[in-house]
Amino acid sequence: MPRQLREVVFVDGVRTAFGRAGPKGVFWRTRADDMAVKVVRELLRRQPQLPPERIGDVLFAATAQVGDQGLTLGRDVALLAGIPETVPGVALDRMCAGALTAMTAGAGEIALGAADIVVAGGVEHMGHHPMGAEVDFNPRFVAERLVDPSAVTMGATAENLHDRFPHLTRENADRFAVRSHARAAAAWSNGVMRETVVPMSVFTEEGWRLADRDEFLRPDTTMEALATLKTPFRPGGRVTAGNSAGLTDGATACLLAAEETAAELGLPARMRLVSFAFAGVAPEVMGSGPIPATERALAQAGLAMDDIGLIELNEPFAVQVLTWCDGTGVDPDDERLNPYGGAIACGHPLAATGVRLAAQLAYGFRERPHVRYGLTALCIGMGMGAAVVWENLAHGG
Amino acid sequence: MADSWFSLRRVETERGPLALVTLDNGEDYTKPTTLGRSALESLQRLLPQLEQAEWAALVLTGKPFVFSAGADIDQFFGISPQLARDGSRAGHELFGRIRALPYPTVAAINGACLGGGVELALHCDHRTISTGVRHFASPEVFLGLFPAWGATQLVPRLVGAETAVRFLVENPLRQNRMLDGRKAFELGLVDALFEPAEFLDESIRFALDSSRELPRSVELGDMQEVVARARSRVDDQVHGAARAPYVTLELIAGAARWSLEEGYRAEEEAIAELLPSPQAQASIYAFDLVERRAKKGVGIPDAEPRPVAKVGIVGAGLMASQIAALFLRRLEVPIVLRDVSEEIVERALQSIHDELAGQVATGRYDEGKARFLGSIVAGGTGYEGFEDCDLVLEAVVEEMGVKQQVFAELRAVAKPDAILATNTSSLSVAEIGADVGLHFFNPVALMPLVEIVRTADTDDIVLATAWDVCGKLRKRGVVVADAPGFVVNRVLTRMTRALMDALEHGNTSEEVDEAVLRLGMPMAPSVLLQVVGPRVANHVLETMHAAYPDRFPLSPALAAIAEGREPEPVEHEPRSVEEISERALEAMADEIRHLLEDGVVADAADVDTCLLLGAGFPFFLGGITRHLDESGISERIAGRRLADVRPTVPA
Repeated sequence: MPRQLREVVFVDGVRTAFGRAGPKGVFWRTRADDMAVKVVRELLRRQPQLPPERIGDVLFAATAQVGDQGLTLGRDVALLAGIPETVPGVALDRMCAGALTAMTAGAGEIALGAADIVVAGGVEHMGHHPMGAEVDFNPRFVAERLVDPSAVTMGATAENLHDRFPHLTRENADRFAVRSHARAAAAWSNGVMRETVVPMSVFTEEGWRLADRDEFLRPDTTMEALATLKTPFRPGGRVTAGNSAGLTDGATACLLAAEETAAELGLPARMRLVSFAFAGVAPEVMGSGPIPATERALAQAGLAMDDIGLIELNEPFAVQVLTWCDGTGVDPDDERLNPYGGAIACGHPLAATGVRLAAQLAYGFRERPHVRYGLTALCIGMGMGAAVVWENLAHGG
Repeated sequence: MADSWFSLRRVETERGPLALVTLDNGEDYTKPTTLGRSALESLQRLLPQLEQAEWAALVLTGKPFVFSAGADIDQFFGISPQLARDGSRAGHELFGRIRALPYPTVAAINGACLGGGVELALHCDHRTISTGVRHFASPEVFLGLFPAWGATQLVPRLVGAETAVRFLVENPLRQNRMLDGRKAFELGLVDALFEPAEFLDESIRFALDSSRELPRSVELGDMQEVVARARSRVDDQVHGAARAPYVTLELIAGAARWSLEEGYRAEEEAIAELLPSPQAQASIYAFDLVERRAKKGVGIPDAEPRPVAKVGIVGAGLMASQIAALFLRRLEVPIVLRDVSEEIVERALQSIHDELAGQVATGRYDEGKARFLGSIVAGGTGYEGFEDCDLVLEAVVEEMGVKQQVFAELRAVAKPDAILATNTSSLSVAEIGADVGLHFFNPVALMPLVEIVRTADTDDIVLATAWDVCGKLRKRGVVVADAPGFVVNRVLTRMTRALMDALEHGNTSEEVDEAVLRLGMPMAPSVLLQVVGPRVANHVLETMHAAYPDRFPLSPALAAIAEGREPEPVEHEPRSVEEISERALEAMADEIRHLLEDGVVADAADVDTCLLLGAGFPFFLGGITRHLDESGISERIAGRRLADVRPTVPA
């Protein structure tokens, strides 16, 4: 039986504030699944016209699928959030592109008619689940030299990018970090963070408090200060705590809907998913992954980089952004790129980040009706990249 | 107990800064926060900050899952009238300052909220509560006290006389009944009900949206009538023996004519008198025994309990079928019953199925679950199905020969590591041939005590398993030595013997009942005797007589009742009711001294626990030994306090 694929629209996306991983972080005594529940409930509260039983699936990503992120998160979170038990859920993992994959997988369900509406999100409590801590690496990777040993340490892969592209210096990276902080500082005084960050009361050593601001903001960051930082991944290296994203606790979630369902229920359709692609590269230079992913996503859409008016690119490492810029011909100072700062200033809770990018892109689209197409992209550990092209439904409005 | 403290965080909101205050103690939810001296001091340090700054609102809440468990009862032991008055006044003063704050104040009741916790919340303008809260109550009357930080004055003003009486007096007297969040909301004790998932976020929102104005003022015109009715209901229940409910009713009644300040003063005076009183001190002692000591497992070895995946019950009479139903419902493992008569087995199985149906009717089980549980109970007249039981409990008639035969048969069919236990109420567990005794009390579903009888041969794993099983059955186990009658039956039978003596001297059954009810026991002996069964009681007396003929002479009166005849006096020298009470207490004092000297339990406190949990001894008398010690009876009868009696033979 022939059938037509359905268009998928992005309705809304929210996140928690991003906290510093570890005992001093604001979320240290808060469960990851409770953070996910918070953002899901906020989404539903904002769309009172959406009957929760119309949700077709709840897709949640986490890199560490154990402990408080362990119980088939999508289902766990849906039940804890009070979504009717008839709504199923699933857990996914594509490391840093987890939430982005939750969006594309959910979009696939919608496009094929398996669901009308999905909740897609991600959570990573890196304080509770330090990277790699619960992973048992197959010794073949090293014994058979399947990957360079540096591939499993993300900071080392960033150093590898500096090696491979010597013109991308530490100074370039630090400059980009300063830019990221400056833009993030501005973003907190305009509407984007107020719209996309939901305050959450959290229990801490000092009693209850409100987590309502990212813990990585340093608006006064200067080149001079950055230059003094150590390079933890390699003596004499270039990657520092200042030009990379900190270890982060955070959760995100968004609503995607079939275009016709959004119209039926009166849900705001803010952007249309145009195309997406995942790509693989050498694991030891995983930061270059978004380049082929971007190329493929653009090619599918029949678009060129010049057609893209707004870009939300993850910033685990400044050098990774610079590498992508190099590969796609975008100037790191380009106004289209990360107008609200990025992970260097707000943090990068691995599997959660993808939805943050999409939510900020949606906000940016509304602010820029002249822009028609935008891009969200991330690099992914073990040598992958992801990219999604979106269309601004406020375009020309 | 860890000290609790209040901490303050400033939260910026669109309405201005909000004061977010948390009561915490740095421990997890298993160690609730209390409002002891250090917590009140920390509140005192915090208040100036709350009073000076221009806050938009205050939200006061607890650490996760606990709002506050109330005052720290450790600080009540041996308290002087002056300290009791000061403690009450300190609460009035500090909580009163919260009440006087010039901006909206909200208590966000996120978890267990008891006693002083309720009173703290009552001093806020508004209260929000989580649907997840299961314990919201003022249990003070249950403890022989009353809430003396303003509840007797504020609750009636908030919800009226009728609900105040129910909440502050009647619920505590109904086995300390507590409210859940929804019920507290329905009764008007709290203003808003939120789901747990975002409870505090929504409470903050509520605080920012709420105005300073208090929502209602309650007409208290019907106060005298409501309190008078309540007093007569209390009379029926405690027969004037417990003071706390009456004092509380007086204070509630006063709320109709006093200013709040006058009401505070009245609470202070009343608590100064009540809290140091022997009755209140006894209640606190009893509460501490039952809630702390009995849960610790005194005398339970640190061994790994064996899993119990199938249980055999030998005997299918009334007691046995109740026990079988309890094991089935709590352990949810296959149960096999055996009795000599097919008809008795059938009746037992039917009663278990009826009980399951009852659980379905009340919504505790769905039909599928009841059907499954019904399907794993079997029974017959042989030992089929006993070969793979992990635990077998014998509950046949109290005859040594019959029981010995059962255990001889069981040894032949049971697997070698099965635990073979007896529910005997007074016979020697070792002589019966059981590994351990598990003595349940009638009615099994209601009585919390199980005497775990340890013989010389009971090994650590068996004992640990017995304790573990009792916990899973939601019973309290107390380890006792293998001596005739163990604790409860030994003491009660000695008391009964003294009461029978009165009948034999020409007292009426009514006089004997009155003598016991005046002591504060919940049930008249004539009624209790019918519950236990007079034949059983007489049989136990015979057993005790065989062991200790001097102290347990056979009773013509009890024998007559057991045979369904009216007891006839042996001689006509009726005693006063006071004298009957006194002799009953003296008999118990004497018997407890002997059982402590015999090492039946390690400590007089364990005797108290057994009688509180196994004989319904009232909290306000404290433990029986404490009561006997305090009243000087021990000294007179045993020559010393029972608390000081130590075993004279190795246990």
